[in-house]
Amino acid sequence: MTGSPIDPQDPLADAFSRALRPVSPWADAWRRLRRNRMALAGLAVIGLYALFTLAAPLLPIHPYAEQVVAHENLPPSLRPAGELMLAARTAYLLRFRAAEGRLEFNAEERQELADMARAIRTDPVHRRHYWLGTDNLGRDMMSRLLFGGRISILIGLVGTVTSMFLGVLLGSIAGYAGGTLDNLIMRFVDILYGLPYMLLVIIMMALFGRNILNLFVAVALISWLTLCRVVRGQVISLKHAEFVEAARAMGASPARIIFRHLTPNTLGVIVVFSTLMVPQFIMTESFLSFLGLGVSAPLASWGSLVAEGAGVMSIYPWQLLGPAVAMTVFLFAMNFLGDGLRDALDPQSRRRG
Amino acid sequence: MLRFMIRRALSLIPTVFLIITFAFVIIRIAPGGPFASEKQLPPEILANIEKRYHLDESLPRQYVRYLGDFVRGDLGPSFRYKDFTVGELIADALPPSMLIGSLALLIAVTGGIGAGVLSALRQNSWIDYAAMSLAVIGISIPVFVTGPVLKLFLALKHPWLPTSGWLGGRGGWLVLVMPVLTLALPYLAGIARLTRASVLEVLRADYIRTARAKGLSERVVVLRHVLKGALLPVLSYLGPAFAGIITGTVVVETIFAVPGMGRLSVQAAINRDYTLIMGDVIVFSVILVAANFVVDLCYGFLDPRISYS
Amino acid sequence: MSRFRGLVLALLPIFLGAQDFVLNNGTEPQSLDPALITGIPEGRISMALFEGLTVSDPVTALPVPGLASSWTVSGDQRTYTFHLRETTWSDGTPLTAQDVVDAWMRVLDPATGSAYAYLLSDNIAGADAYLKGKGPASGVAIHARGPHTFEVTFVGPLPYALAMLTHSAFMVTPTFAVKRYGPGAWTKPAHFIGNGPYVLKTWRPQDQIVVARNPRYWDARNIHLQSITFLTIEDQNVAFDKYLAGEIDYVTDDSIPVGRIDEIRLRHDYHHMPGSSIYYFVYNVTRRPFDDVRVRKALSMAVDRDELVRRVLKAGDVPTAGFVPAMGGFRTAPGNGFDLDRARRLLAQAGYPGGRGFPRITITYNTSARHKLICEWLQQAWKASLGIEVQLHNLEWNTFLDTKQKTHDFQLARAGWVADYPDPGNYLDMFKTGSGNNDGRYSNLRYDRLLARAATLPPGPARDRVLEEAESILVTEDQAVLPCFFYVTRFVLDDRKWGGIHLNAIDSHPPRWWYRK
Repeated sequence: MTGSPIDPQDPLADAFSRALRPVSPWADAWRRLRRNRMALAGLAVIGLYALFTLAAPLLPIHPYAEQVVAHENLPPSLRPAGELMLAARTAYLLRFRAAEGRLEFNAEERQELADMARAIRTDPVHRRHYWLGTDNLGRDMMSRLLFGGRISILIGLVGTVTSMFLGVLLGSIAGYAGGTLDNLIMRFVDILYGLPYMLLVIIMMALFGRNILNLFVAVALISWLTLCRVVRGQVISLKHAEFVEAARAMGASPARIIFRHLTPNTLGVIVVFSTLMVPQFIMTESFLSFLGLGVSAPLASWGSLVAEGAGVMSIYPWQLLGPAVAMTVFLFAMNFLGDGLRDALDPQSRRRG
Repeated sequence: MLRFMIRRALSLIPTVFLIITFAFVIIRIAPGGPFASEKQLPPEILANIEKRYHLDESLPRQYVRYLGDFVRGDLGPSFRYKDFTVGELIADALPPSMLIGSLALLIAVTGGIGAGVLSALRQNSWIDYAAMSLAVIGISIPVFVTGPVLKLFLALKHPWLPTSGWLGGRGGWLVLVMPVLTLALPYLAGIARLTRASVLEVLRADYIRTARAKGLSERVVVLRHVLKGALLPVLSYLGPAFAGIITGTVVVETIFAVPGMGRLSVQAAINRDYTLIMGDVIVFSVILVAANFVVDLCYGFLDPRISYS
Repeated sequence: MSRFRGLVLALLPIFLGAQDFVLNNGTEPQSLDPALITGIPEGRISMALFEGLTVSDPVTALPVPGLASSWTVSGDQRTYTFHLRETTWSDGTPLTAQDVVDAWMRVLDPATGSAYAYLLSDNIAGADAYLKGKGPASGVAIHARGPHTFEVTFVGPLPYALAMLTHSAFMVTPTFAVKRYGPGAWTKPAHFIGNGPYVLKTWRPQDQIVVARNPRYWDARNIHLQSITFLTIEDQNVAFDKYLAGEIDYVTDDSIPVGRIDEIRLRHDYHHMPGSSIYYFVYNVTRRPFDDVRVRKALSMAVDRDELVRRVLKAGDVPTAGFVPAMGGFRTAPGNGFDLDRARRLLAQAGYPGGRGFPRITITYNTSARHKLICEWLQQAWKASLGIEVQLHNLEWNTFLDTKQKTHDFQLARAGWVADYPDPGNYLDMFKTGSGNNDGRYSNLRYDRLLARAATLPPGPARDRVLEEAESILVTEDQAVLPCFFYVTRFVLDDRKWGGIHLNAIDSHPPRWWYRK
């Protein structure tokens, strides 16, 4: 057997050489991700959300801004709107009648109900279905949810991307460099943290107007601060590890050390942290709407829908449940995907891959 | 170590100074002013009021005047609440915030670290999934939903707790329960997830393998070695979290009528109460810088490899 | 025996506390000095702590004797002589006519910086000159003619003089205490001195203000509540939840959440009646397209105010296309109400048939649930009926005020007006050319002349007709504003338990009359 080359026709040899072939880390990571069922489920859910919200204008749903005041505050149902409207109004008038101590409807109330019954038969708008109910102006909750999702998902994305970029960059540099540079960067972070955010935003609005770009900048402004601190902490603790010493001994430049060696090892914390921050970005958008910078009516976002729904949750719970559940499912999916990504990309676990 | 502490303490001064300066300018650039009202004040009266609060002076002069008062410990009168000074208002608002903030953080840290460690040690078990699912829910549902939901079930449907209010009223100390819980929940969830991720990473590290190989009991391994390494990111998170939880809790304070710093600072910003905003900014930045300082010190204790030479 | 005593002691707070009244007061008061306040929350507390020459009757809201037990009016109806009761401040110091003079002069003093000084300077002879620094203090026509005789001369025969004197700006404050303790300190519980039915007991900022019965009040034997607690809660939902839990006894108008009106309407303790404050939108008449009166009218005629009030707000507000509520002999102008055909024709005449070519307009409003609801409905209604594009722009309060009042950077802005005193002139004065509150920069010299003429006329049908003509110009001819509805005045209170709070058009409920049944 000495000197003879491996026979390519030998299946055992073939498997052996294939196992030796270098695999790119990304393909490796993707392979591992594929095996994580929860992460795949998360990815699928996010994909569905992205698909539905992007395609929202094309879907055969009621326009999100169209008001049918007669259909205000209808519960979710498969029955046609007209039926629900009549039932709700009758029930309400019954309670009204009881509150006033009467035993019968008066002429005006009878006329109103009769008119309503006739309108249901003749006007096609009452044959609509609102699967998730309506809001206080008779707008379809489902379309508002879908269109609102576009804004919220976009904000979440923008915030995450900017926070990752700025936070990881500045945090790693600060942590690795130490000394004056570290001090400077961290003081800068502290200053940004300490300034009154609300007034900053108001000034930005006054200077640059209200548009979607301004909204992204406002969110990005504070998105990266905490991540920066966290990454810095990680880097500080890792920079004396053996593998860093080794890299330094091999003559690697600081930049290479930071991005090739240190950052991948902080990936776990970065990913978890970013998924922690996405709901905060959505809430920040809600706060910004209060100032006038967020989405302007009649457009909604999950944050604004949830805020409005929370106020009436004891009487119209679907106005809160719909957007809250939609948002929570999305965040769940993001978290599972994040966990999966971390497991897939973690260089330590590669050894056991 | 001492040199490091002195150096950091000294850098606190220029930081706060810079924050004061930027905030001072920002506040005055923002449109609107402290004396705006739906029925406008006649110009003569407005001129008088502005003179009384030195708003007719040039910006640099006002700044110098403010700094001079500040070093003497005088934060000025509130522009909006004409019967109070900024110092009095903050002295009234800080204790409630610190009380519910500290209690909430205590619950969040103990509960979060405990849950996180447990989940990491029992990775992929049902405990892990359950705990982490609850954690995700805790992070995803905003405070302005959990607060009213708690209120609905614990105070309205069943009169077990007072709906809102503060100590010294009819509710007694029970008024603390819901705001503290509501505030703690997202932080608890966040710390739990952070701890779990961090512990999982540390568990794979070499020095843990060494400790296990040495024959140490699992409990010793966890408590002595794993925790110290794993808590670092949690610690970094805690610095700004502590500062934020003291002053950024306006939603919880609004829902439960807590007379704290959150409501005070938001009202101050809305009212353009210049001196009160400045006072809030100063208090917040001092707390923040101090918290970060303490956190940085703790890095050294947790990881002996970190030195501040 | 000691157990019985223990029981009594335990139950005592219930008896004492039974006369404890708790309500939500809204935002933290800017001050408790009546000379400095402008808002409704502050006004409520000032009515408990201080009293002026007249107070308003709880049922009719008409002025009735307060500190002044009686008065006489001169022949030209300009000079009033008040006879004050012989009473003391809460610290025992006798209250004299000179106190009234000092209090009013303090409001007029430019150094005080009182926002409502204009109520005195606009109406009292010689006051305007003093306020602007052009006349001496002695020129102000108020005098102490004796220890209990106070005399004031107004600029003209004011029909609303007595009603105006119930306003906080005219309340009698202890000037000696202000001088002794200084502003800021004299209003604190430690040094507080007042002449009202209650005195200040505790003040915890952002939390609550508690006032306790004043035994030295001249009518103390008719004050039955031991204490009143004013809570400082801005959020309407939080406040109303407290009422549902029994933690507060009375929900004022500003604490009733707009989204839950359906449930609140059914309650027995919900009381409402039409009020006199108006909700409207102001046109910036210097900006396209609102410089064209046809456009302004078309938009007004396309608003179905009935639907807004009945189906969207559901609170019982009163739709109106006129600006001034009916009062005395005064009739509200009909204005330009809902008439879709005419609206479309006017729009076409203005050059935008079917809404084509109409520029996109912006409605500016301050962030609030109610405004959002109304503006969203309006946006959709105009789109459906006129085919025009409307954008909504919400701003936080201070920025909103700055935009509306200083930069005038708006096309259509939401506005409201609460009268200082019940007189049509108070509603119409702000639209005079160059007036400080004329945010839309409307100007019509005929209108100005009519108002000037009305100021010289005595109360009566002649004055009413002149003012009606002015209102007609404002809303019917020129459509300078878009009136929507008169607010409903309302509150939630169990009136089987509590008395003294009645519905009235000006929503005035002095704590002086409150009691437990």
